[in-house]
Amino acid sequence: MARKITLWVAILLLLLIGLAPVISMFAKSLFVAGELSLGNYETLFQSEREWILLSNSFLLAGSVTFITLLLGVPLGTLFSKTDLPFKKIFIILFVIPLIIPSYILATAWFYFLGRSGIVAQILGANVGIFTSRFLFGFSGVLFVMVSTLLPIVIILVMTYLRMVNPKLEEAAKLSATWPVVLREISIPIIIPGICLAGLIVFILTLGEIGVPSSLRFDVFPVESFIQFSAFYNFNAATAAAIPLGVITLIILIIERLFLRKKVFQFRVTKDPMIIIPLGEKKPLFFAAVATLAFIIAIIPLCVLLIKSLSISAYHEALTRSIDSIFRSLLYAAIGATCLTVLGFFLGYLLERKAFRFTYAVDSIAILLFALPGTVIGIGLISLWNTRATNMIYASVAIIIFGYIAQYTALGERIMAATFSQIPRSMEEAAQIVGVGWFRRLFGILIPLAKRGIASIWLVGFIFCLRDLGITMMVYPPAHDTLPVRIFTLMANSPEEVIAALCMILILITLLPLSALSLIIKNKRQKI
Amino acid sequence: MRKFFVIVGLFLSMIYPSFSAAKDEVVVYVSEDQVFSEPILRDFEKDTGIKIKAVYDTEETKSTGAMNRLIAEKNNPQADVYWANEPIRAVVLKQKKISSPYISPNAKGIPPLFKDSEGYWTGFSARARVFVVSDGASDKDLEPTSILNYTDEKWKDKSVVANPLFGTTTSWVSALFVAWGDEKATDFLEKMKKNGVKISTSNGESTTLVMNKECIFSLVDSDDATNAIRDEKPVSQIYPDQEEGGLGCLILPNTAVLIKGGPNPENGKKLIDYMISAESERKLAFADCAQIPLHEGVETPPDVKKIEDIKTMEVDYEKVAEKLLEIQKYLKKWAGY
Repeated sequence: MARKITLWVAILLLLLIGLAPVISMFAKSLFVAGELSLGNYETLFQSEREWILLSNSFLLAGSVTFITLLLGVPLGTLFSKTDLPFKKIFIILFVIPLIIPSYILATAWFYFLGRSGIVAQILGANVGIFTSRFLFGFSGVLFVMVSTLLPIVIILVMTYLRMVNPKLEEAAKLSATWPVVLREISIPIIIPGICLAGLIVFILTLGEIGVPSSLRFDVFPVESFIQFSAFYNFNAATAAAIPLGVITLIILIIERLFLRKKVFQFRVTKDPMIIIPLGEKKPLFFAAVATLAFIIAIIPLCVLLIKSLSISAYHEALTRSIDSIFRSLLYAAIGATCLTVLGFFLGYLLERKAFRFTYAVDSIAILLFALPGTVIGIGLISLWNTRATNMIYASVAIIIFGYIAQYTALGERIMAATFSQIPRSMEEAAQIVGVGWFRRLFGILIPLAKRGIASIWLVGFIFCLRDLGITMMVYPPAHDTLPVRIFTLMANSPEEVIAALCMILILITLLPLSALSLIIKNKRQKI
Repeated sequence: MRKFFVIVGLFLSMIYPSFSAAKDEVVVYVSEDQVFSEPILRDFEKDTGIKIKAVYDTEETKSTGAMNRLIAEKNNPQADVYWANEPIRAVVLKQKKISSPYISPNAKGIPPLFKDSEGYWTGFSARARVFVVSDGASDKDLEPTSILNYTDEKWKDKSVVANPLFGTTTSWVSALFVAWGDEKATDFLEKMKKNGVKISTSNGESTTLVMNKECIFSLVDSDDATNAIRDEKPVSQIYPDQEEGGLGCLILPNTAVLIKGGPNPENGKKLIDYMISAESERKLAFADCAQIPLHEGVETPPDVKKIEDIKTMEVDYEKVAEKLLEIQKYLKKWAGY
């Protein structure tokens, strides 16, 4: 009974905080001038142009997903299962583009590849024309989006590979080489993780508007954005966002059909993960990974560093943003903690299929993840901005609600993967001898899911810290976060100050993450 | 358990100030760039002791985030004042019955063209729509003097303009429709497109494209151009259509709007008085935004023209706002969406 109540509370929180604002927006979109009408939807896809935009979005999301998986799966494998040197440094380098707001990453590449950018200054104007042509258009958007989202695939592949039962690999190794073991055993086992990574990358690219707009590649989300920003028509904007939600649900159904009949065996022992020796090929792998890290992470990082290279820029950046830095860290920590708690129970619900409608809850979480932040933001305003609920709307709670609405899916899915490696029999045995739900929760589930809990918290922290879409729509006066401050200062502020602010954002994201990993390392050493 | 209470206590202490805030405050939503508006608001705080709580806009949302919030919050307004960076949004707020009339004593010196006759909005510190021109062009022949140069073969594929669906470019296009009539304005836009004009995401990006020699010229806001020049970027600034009988240059003042039902209306009025004062206009003229004071006789730096020295486009902003609604579908198509 206690278990049911806990899970119901988690579901109701998702429905109240996440789904209710969207339902309210959707309901309003069905009315025109106070009368029930499909008018807001009739204008959708009336012209050929909208179909072109949708196919552009598909092409971009499909290409980004394909390339990030193509690069991310081998990289994740190299980082988690081999003796590649400087792995931790590489992981940090590849994560950096995810921390920088994608629009700023595009700007950094503009400073590098633009017609009078760094490359043109070094190699001449003709090369500048060529690089500028590469940057502006599909190729440039594809490149920037791949570099931004690649770390998601790397992190998820690493997380899932750690769950593979080493006994299976040991058995296979008796009659096969490591590449065969990886191809036939390890990688097929982590297909749910690869699918999840692909799904997240696809959804994030499908909804992206900043990078395609600045690099001039027209995509479908601009339809909803225009309704908000040019027409101030919230109902039409919601209607224009619905196709993105429908596409996401279709992709989700495909994912489920694909994974339905497959059985995945994750490890249940505490045996250490097997590390593959790279042997003679180590320098080759090292060179390949280092080259990719240089292109994807070091170049934009250096551009920002060069642009910000003055004490006065950092002094001004800190003066203008010190309060926002503390707020960002605090709100992201609270947001990540809420996402962890909610993700824990919803992930448990999904993996243990505790209720019949488990998949419906998962679909709601994924749908919310796919919707533009502006739609959720306006929904939150229309639902919570009343005199009775002012204590929520006029406080930081509304930002946390926004994080929960948009990012619960991440925590839920990561936790579901974690619970798949905790045998049900342990819980069942405890239940048979009369151990109650909360003792099982604190005595079995939480201790065994520690790694997953830490992963959600870290992922949640990064996503909350970099969030702009929702925070921008709902932050109470004088509660702006660092990404919001960067964007409000971007117009007409000196480039070096903005670059310095971005470097600060990278640092404040990496410092807590490094501190946490040090704490974990110290604890392990003590054990 | 103790840890739990500490966390809850920390969270509540963080929320508490939000809804138990001191009465002596004013909430302002700002679409003017934060770098320029924040110093004025801080000075207000210092001079009056009234605490400012601000929500700033971003370029990424085309500076419409604050406007969207005002509309969404109509039934329970959180803001007292809206500082719009152009007059059209102020007119839209009036139409949507979100603003409240207030005629400030400091509005006396501002020409009637730049304020609402009923007091729903008051203009101050304006920007002009000017050309930013790349010094890389070096050829004097390639210096534009009129917006009609956008359709001239000589500048084929060499010009850029910000997306006319957003911000001050929308106001400019709409003003052309009002000044010229639909037929002439549509013809101009079509010719402009045929001449290979690039469409950027913002005036800031247009300036960057010109600075980086991706394009020769662009019509932008005067603060974008002046800022680039003061940063010693290789560009110059030209006021278009200044010849005798010419169309003139569109002037877009900032506007101060009192929000209906805001939590601190009296402090809101005090803030509006401060924002539109001649002293604030002087500060904004000397700031990097180099805005043009609308009060007569306000001191300006040498690179900021006085309003009386500019041939301005005579437009009725109410009509521009009305026209804007009419032409948005056409503009969406024109911009390729």
